[in-house]
Amino acid sequence: MEAITVIVYISIYLGLFATTFYILSFISYSKKERVFYTDEELPAVSVIIPAYNEEGAIEKTLKSVLKSDYPDFEIIVVDDGSTDRTLKIAKKFASRKTRVFHKENGGKGTALNFGIKKAKGKIIFTMDADTTVDRKSMKNMVRFFKDKEIMSVSPAIVIDKPRNILQRVQYMEYLLGLFLRKAFASIKSIYITPGAFSAYRKSFFDRHGLYEIGNPTEDLEMALRIQYNGYYTENCPEAPAYTTAPATFRELMIQRRRWYFGLLQNLWRYRKIIGKRYGDLGAFVIPTALSSIILSVIVIVYMFFKTLFEVKDSLIFYQSINFDFPSTLNVNFYFIERVLFLFFSKPVVLFIILFMAVLGFYMHYASKKIGRLSGLFVNLVLFYLFFAILFGLWWVITIFYIALSKTVKWRDL
Amino acid sequence: MEKRDFESKNRYAISLVIATVVFLLIFAISYSISYFELQRVSNLQVGVGYEIFEDKLGHSFFNEQICNGSSFSKVSQDLSFQGRIVDDLERRLGKQNENVLLRKQFYSLIEIEHFEFVREFNQKCREDLNTILFFYSNNVSEIEDSEEAGRILGSVSSRNENLIIYSFDIDLESELVNKLEKKYNVTASPTAVINEKTKIKLPANIQEIEKHLQ
Repeated sequence: MEAITVIVYISIYLGLFATTFYILSFISYSKKERVFYTDEELPAVSVIIPAYNEEGAIEKTLKSVLKSDYPDFEIIVVDDGSTDRTLKIAKKFASRKTRVFHKENGGKGTALNFGIKKAKGKIIFTMDADTTVDRKSMKNMVRFFKDKEIMSVSPAIVIDKPRNILQRVQYMEYLLGLFLRKAFASIKSIYITPGAFSAYRKSFFDRHGLYEIGNPTEDLEMALRIQYNGYYTENCPEAPAYTTAPATFRELMIQRRRWYFGLLQNLWRYRKIIGKRYGDLGAFVIPTALSSIILSVIVIVYMFFKTLFEVKDSLIFYQSINFDFPSTLNVNFYFIERVLFLFFSKPVVLFIILFMAVLGFYMHYASKKIGRLSGLFVNLVLFYLFFAILFGLWWVITIFYIALSKTVKWRDL
Repeated sequence: MEKRDFESKNRYAISLVIATVVFLLIFAISYSISYFELQRVSNLQVGVGYEIFEDKLGHSFFNEQICNGSSFSKVSQDLSFQGRIVDDLERRLGKQNENVLLRKQFYSLIEIEHFEFVREFNQKCREDLNTILFFYSNNVSEIEDSEEAGRILGSVSSRNENLIIYSFDIDLESELVNKLEKKYNVTASPTAVINEKTKIKLPANIQEIEKHLQ
């Protein structure tokens, strides 16, 4: 057996094992009893919105927060030295409830820290200036903080109005992530909080410090810091937050390079988390995630080139039997039989179908939490077609970056 | 920080069992599909073999006309499809798989039968169908040349509608194939015998082959 075949089957087996484990964890979590704040107990919260050149989005963001049904909240807009009309637009909303500050440009981390220092609430929401939230999201998320061990709550991040192929692929990626995030929460193992919208207990910042300046993924660092200090992050899928996805390949590439670089950098820094001492997170979730990344990249790169050669071979084959390409709509019996046999007699194809069914289950979960999802079928097809190759490409480029000792910063964007 | 407990250690064991069962089940299903496909191809081969024999007997024993019948083109099409299925079986189950070799033996028999049919068809109906007997080998030292020659012949076939190619594995344990090799004095692979007259060792050029076609 070829080495690559062994790697493929190890990846599949690991995938099956992890998927089963997460589904079982999810089922067991839904049966657990938990404590929540009642409406009367909800503490005061501060929503911090750092903004840099967001004149096109800030108004919509502020309006969505102001519509929230949360009883006691303030908004702190920190204009991070924008050169456009962001500050002017934000100032239109200035009131007792909405405070607007301006500072010199220093990056997202500095703007967040500036806002946290000004905040009066016991719970801090960090929110991107191009993100909007549902009326009920803040309330649903804050309820979880009744549990004293919970230091952070992540929402259900959804891509707002995906238009092109790249955005649709990301839309599906985020939706599928909803289930996994909840499954991770069920074993107290969330190690990433979305920068677009997340809630934190302010006392954690007071005790363990503010955001780290210069970290390419300061939100991820914070999530790992929470775990490292023995606390947890919860997930609230009933709290949708809509964010804008990168629309061009270049923008997306830069974003993913930063994320993946940040993930590796921060995991290395908090490497003591890996091991039995941190329970499921250290012994299973992070090691599985890392080995999945390594195996996936090898398999995806190999499969990409193998598929290219197989397509070339197939074209030669169909030419050799005088297959009439222009009339492919007029599908012929030989063609169907050959395709069916070639595909369904391969275990890998059956495994792919099985994993697709699992993704379908994840989708069902997402649609239950978010509501009716439009264009689901088209988006799912695009996701199946492009995600794997994009994922492989992002990781390969990130690895090259690390190998060449290049650094990735926020303002690479 | 205090050591953190696992949520449930049993869950790992249960997941391991479920994953193993599903993993093995998928393999079992895929091999069942391969097995059923092999059975189906076997039945198909028998069917095509029967049709060729029937047509030949109809002509030689009952003096039926073969020139205006449509069965010839259908049988030829089925034969071509079978060749591809055998090719796929080789890829899927391996070139040395016992079942595949058995199917190849039977396929070679049908090819020879069809070849004889074409010879008669050309004579009686004054047709000028070209034939190429292609002898190849799956031996490690010769497989690359054989596959390359196969690709070239595939291209020649797609350019010439009145050409039928019969492929024979010279390493196949088949007395008929051995006799065919001797008849056309084939000593090495790959070799192409065009219209029973011209023999080309290591066919590597489309034009070289096409100049011998009618």
